[in-house]
Amino acid sequence: MNFLQSKLTKKILACVGITALICLMTGPPGSPTAPSAGIVGSFKNESSFFGLFNTQRWVVFLILGTVVSTLAFLYQSNKTEVVKATAKVVSGPRTLLQHRLARRSTLLALFVLALVLPKIVTDAFWQEAMVSQIAIFVLLALGLNVVVGFAGLLDLGFVAFYAVGAYATAWATGALPLPPLFGVHINPFFAIPIAIVFAMVSGVILGIPTLRLRGDYLAIVTLGFGEIITLFANNLYGITGGALGTQAIPHFSFHVGPVNYIWNLAPVPYYYLTLGFVILFIVIFYSLEHSRIGRSWTAIREDEVAAESVGINPLKYKVMAFAIGAASAGFAGVITAAQSNYLNPATFTLYVSINVLVLVIFGGMGSIPGAVFGAILIQSVSMYLIHTPPSGYQAQDLYIYIGGLLVVMMIFRPGGLIPAKRRGRTQVEASSTASEAN
Amino acid sequence: MERIFEVSGVTLRFAGVVSLSDVSMHQNRGEILAVIGPNGAGKTSLFNSLTGVYHPQEGTIVLNRKDGEPLSVIGKKPHVINSAGVARTFQASRMFNALTTFENVKIAAESHKGLGAIGAMLRGPRTRKDEKLSDQKTWELLHFVGLSEKANTISASLSYGERRRLEIARGLATNPEVLLLDEPAAGTNPSEKNDLVVLIRKVRDEMGVSILLIEHDMKLVMSLAERLYVLNFGSVIAEGTPDEIRSNPAVIDAYLGTTTAREAK
Repeated sequence: MNFLQSKLTKKILACVGITALICLMTGPPGSPTAPSAGIVGSFKNESSFFGLFNTQRWVVFLILGTVVSTLAFLYQSNKTEVVKATAKVVSGPRTLLQHRLARRSTLLALFVLALVLPKIVTDAFWQEAMVSQIAIFVLLALGLNVVVGFAGLLDLGFVAFYAVGAYATAWATGALPLPPLFGVHINPFFAIPIAIVFAMVSGVILGIPTLRLRGDYLAIVTLGFGEIITLFANNLYGITGGALGTQAIPHFSFHVGPVNYIWNLAPVPYYYLTLGFVILFIVIFYSLEHSRIGRSWTAIREDEVAAESVGINPLKYKVMAFAIGAASAGFAGVITAAQSNYLNPATFTLYVSINVLVLVIFGGMGSIPGAVFGAILIQSVSMYLIHTPPSGYQAQDLYIYIGGLLVVMMIFRPGGLIPAKRRGRTQVEASSTASEAN
Repeated sequence: MERIFEVSGVTLRFAGVVSLSDVSMHQNRGEILAVIGPNGAGKTSLFNSLTGVYHPQEGTIVLNRKDGEPLSVIGKKPHVINSAGVARTFQASRMFNALTTFENVKIAAESHKGLGAIGAMLRGPRTRKDEKLSDQKTWELLHFVGLSEKANTISASLSYGERRRLEIARGLATNPEVLLLDEPAAGTNPSEKNDLVVLIRKVRDEMGVSILLIEHDMKLVMSLAERLYVLNFGSVIAEGTPDEIRSNPAVIDAYLGTTTAREAK
């Protein structure tokens, strides 16, 4: 009995149990002729350990699980040392970035890097992924960061605004069964403001009735809203084209005088357009964060009752957060619609909402650089695994790896990759006073 | 004398439980008024009714503003009542913990400006001017309550006494005509208590803000308040000056038990 009660045994058992669960979850399915193939295959099938050596799937997961839980164990037993060590690693760049010049030159360097990136990354898959998977999710993460990070409203249906933006583009360019306004099929360029306005209005429409709710209740209602939009896209055949999707959405094009230029499927022009808008949204969201509106959002997030008592109307500011966050999702919708020139409801699933939320949490809630780099990092990892999977890799394994990454992040940097100043302060303060006491 | 608050016949029920029953009271402008009573007497419920957090089923609460129409409080949202000139602090102090002392007050100082989302994004000259004014006001208030040295401290790491003063500064930043203090001395040490008495008097004398306070510390109440109401089981059982209240038999009963119970001791 002593053996079973020891802490180490419990940890090992938990590790083995979780490994078995993961193997069964991600393993191959069975079939009527070989009903046990799924279970047997989960443990017997081979997989590459990140290209280093080949082994059974369960060994891969067991090693990963052991690494993660050992990290967690080491962290718990040496908390103060680990906090100090990470603080030391982080404080270098942070003190450097306190100087205005250093901050500006870093921003400039990042900007130049972003500009020349399509020249460095010439692989077709990666050029495509940079727009449709990375830049789009940077936009979505920036938008959700306003809602979840700044205003503290847990939105599990953020995909809705993305879908509204995309379908609004399809409508304005005449790709839906529903005829566009005045029957004029316009260029996606002019659909940008329309899509953004549509997304913002849907943010207001969703916000006014639901933002009276708090916490868990709000999360459930927004989850429902996300599903409703997908169901609308699926069911309203006469408006959205139903499950079959839209007709061809035109690409962006210029027709000024003698200049006729159409963007087609090549991702690079879309990359630059999206980059421009990402920078625009970063500037807008940054100045909002440091304005009275951003402070009011923080106040509501910290204590809604106290915020009301000093004259802040919580509903007004929450609806604003929803509408402003929806704007960048709406723009992401335009890019998706115009670049892939076809939409169907399967693009806008709950998975997108959850994925964007993971990006925001990973990057650091309420932190704009966090949202950007979190999105770039996680989306790059998943794109890498899709593009060059190690042998024996299965699509479902992605979630295990991303999950492991999140767990490690939450252990060492609970505030995310680049924690927000306003959110992180209490922790930083507490740990610095703790280290002073030591 | 002009009455700033006029409460008449207020009854507040929670699903059958009567929290306030037929409460009538008033506060004169410029007065330091206290509401006392045993735990559960309905003091905080009264405060919440005055600030729009609760909406009593019966009775009227009228706020007479210096300029402008009298405002009927019941049915209005807390932020509307705050804009009308009623600021408050909380029993368990509620701060914006992630923010600094300075930001806590600044948020209150700028909450009544127009929405100005576009202005905030573009940081136009008007936004800058507004910010400058609220910064200035925030500094003045922090000096006034004696927290200017803690301006850049995270509010979560302030002591109880400092939190109380921060809450008062935050309330004052909204330009109130009346300030409601819910147990301001709770959790403070004797020297902080004395400072608090001085500060509350200063708020009334120098800023002309009427004070309504709930307090358990009898020494503090009796030295500070000019008039008192005593609540018990949701009803007003006594009203008067500190001396009158001290000798009121109904009050002694409420605090120490019935006469027979006292005799049994």
